[in-house]
Amino acid sequence: MSDTTAATQHAEHAAHPHVNYTKIFVALCVCTALSWVADEAGGWGLIDSKRMIAVIVLAIAVAKAQYVMRYFMHLKFEGKWKYVLLLPTTILACGIPLALAPDIGLHYYRPTTPQTRVEIAPPTELSPTAAPHESAKGSAPEHGGDH
Amino acid sequence: MAHTPPRPAVKMGLPIPNSKLGMWLFLGTEIMFFTAFIGTYIVLYFGSVDANGRSAWPTDTHVTHINVVAGAINTFVLIFSSYLVVVAHEAMGQRNFQKAFKALGGTFVCACLFLGIKGVEYGGKISHDILPGRIAETEDEALDKLVREMGAALDARLDSLIPGDQPIHIKQSQAAQVGDAPRLLESAQKSLAENPNNPEMREQRDVMQALVDNATQVAIWRTLDIEYGSLRDAVSRNALTLEEAEHRLHELELAARVQVSETESLVGPFVDAARLETLAHSEHPEEASAPAHDDDLPHLAEGEVAIKSGGEWKVYPASNVKLLQDNVYEDVLSSVHHPQVILYGNIFASTYFLMTGFHAVHVVVGMILFAIVLVQGPKLNERWTEWVENSGLYWHFVDLVWIFLFPLIYIIPGV
Repeated sequence: MSDTTAATQHAEHAAHPHVNYTKIFVALCVCTALSWVADEAGGWGLIDSKRMIAVIVLAIAVAKAQYVMRYFMHLKFEGKWKYVLLLPTTILACGIPLALAPDIGLHYYRPTTPQTRVEIAPPTELSPTAAPHESAKGSAPEHGGDH
Repeated sequence: MAHTPPRPAVKMGLPIPNSKLGMWLFLGTEIMFFTAFIGTYIVLYFGSVDANGRSAWPTDTHVTHINVVAGAINTFVLIFSSYLVVVAHEAMGQRNFQKAFKALGGTFVCACLFLGIKGVEYGGKISHDILPGRIAETEDEALDKLVREMGAALDARLDSLIPGDQPIHIKQSQAAQVGDAPRLLESAQKSLAENPNNPEMREQRDVMQALVDNATQVAIWRTLDIEYGSLRDAVSRNALTLEEAEHRLHELELAARVQVSETESLVGPFVDAARLETLAHSEHPEEASAPAHDDDLPHLAEGEVAIKSGGEWKVYPASNVKLLQDNVYEDVLSSVHHPQVILYGNIFASTYFLMTGFHAVHVVVGMILFAIVLVQGPKLNERWTEWVENSGLYWHFVDLVWIFLFPLIYIIPGV
C-alpha cells in the first residue's frame, strides 16, 4: 500500500461528513425490534393480514438496508460512480427470478400434475375404462412435458 | 524550435483507490450471486402449491426446525459487528490503532458467535434429518424411509455385535445360532486346536465367542429383527398407515427386558404409572402420537406395571417384576427418525442450506480478512486503513444479506 493511496484515503475520509455511528446502530436495533413486534402483532390479533405483516417486515428490512448502505458503507457520501457500478448488477440480478417466475412461480405444476412426461400405453380392448383415465393423464405433458 | 509545454495527462478512472473500486466491483457480482438464491427461493415459495393451488411451502417451525429466536439473536450480532467495523474504520482514520484493533477483535468475536448459533441451528436440522433429498414428501415415502432406516440400523448393530468382514446376511444366519453358541464355540475351539493356522476356523471361533459373550444383546437384536420383519412386510403389503407405523415405533421405544417370574423373562413395551403419566403429558411434538393411542395403553392401579407380550398387555404387581434392562432397543432406534411427511420439504431444505450456507461461507471469509489485520497486533498502522475499509465494505454486505434473509426465511413463513 503506497503512501499516495493512503493519503488519498485520508483525503476521502476527511471529505466524509462525520456520522454518529452509534445513532445508526441504535436505529438498526430499533428496526429489528419493530420487525419482531410486527411478527408478534399477528399473534396478538392486532394485524389480521399475513400479507400486511410480510409487507411491514420487508419494508423494515429495506429501511435497515438503507441505513447500512448509506451510512456504514458511506454510499451517501460517494460520487455518482456508485450508480454506474451498482445499477447494472442490480438490474441483471433480477434476471433469474424473472426468468423463473412464469414457469415455477405461477403455479404451473401441482402434485397432481407433475412436471414430467407421462408415458402412456395405447388403450387396449380389454380395458375399456382405461381411455378416460389416460386422456386425463395425457393433459400433463401439455403443462410440463416440454420443460 | 519553440518549446511546447507537455499536455496534461488525461485523468482516467474513478476518484477512488483501485482496491476500493475492486471491492465495489466484487460486491456488484455478489449482489447478483445472492439475488439469484434469494429470488429463486421466493419464486419457489410461491410456486410450491398443493392440489388446490394453495401455498404448501413448509412453514410450521415444529416441522422445519427454523429457530426464530436464534435468527433474531444472529441479526443483532451481525448488526453489532457491522457497527464495530465502521468504528474500527473511523479509528484507523483518526490513527487510533488501539481502538481499531479492539473494535476489529470484537467483530471477530461476533462472527464466531454468529457461526456458533448457526451451528446450533444446523445441528437441530441434522438431528431431525431436515436435509435436502432425505425428507419424505408422501406417506409412502415416509413409511419406506422408516423401513430403510430401521433396516440399516439393525444391520449396523449386528455388525458391531458379531466380528468379521463377512456379509450382513451371513451375520444374520450366525445370529440365529445364538441359542446353540456355547456348544458351537466348544466345537470351534477343538477344530482350531487341531488346525491352529487355519484362518477360517479362527474366524469361526471368534464369531462363536462373540455370540456367547453378547448372547443377551444378540437375542434382543433378534426380537427387534422379528418386529422389523413384521413392519417391513406390512409396509410392502400396503397394510399399514403412517400413524400405525409411528405407533409401532413408539411401542418399540418403550420396550424393556423384565423378569416376571424366576424362570420367565419377557422383552416388550413396558409401562409403569410414572411412564404413563409422562406419555400423557408429553410435549414433544414427535411423541404426540402417544396420547392419540391412549386406548392402547393399559390402565394401571397404584403399584402395578404392564408389559405387552403376544400383542396383549399383561399387568403385574410391580413387586413381582424385576426390570432387567430398560429401553432395550435404544442402540438401534436412536438412529431411526420418527416418520413425518413434509410436502416440498426437500426444496425447502435445499434453499435454506444454500442461502444460509453461502452466507456462512462469506462470514468465514470475513473472519479471515479481519484475522489478517488482528495478527498485526501492536504493529497495526495507517498502511492497513484501506484494508480495513475494504474488508469493512465486504462485512457490511454480509450484514445486508442477513438483513433480508432474516425476514424471508425466519419471520414471513411463520406468520
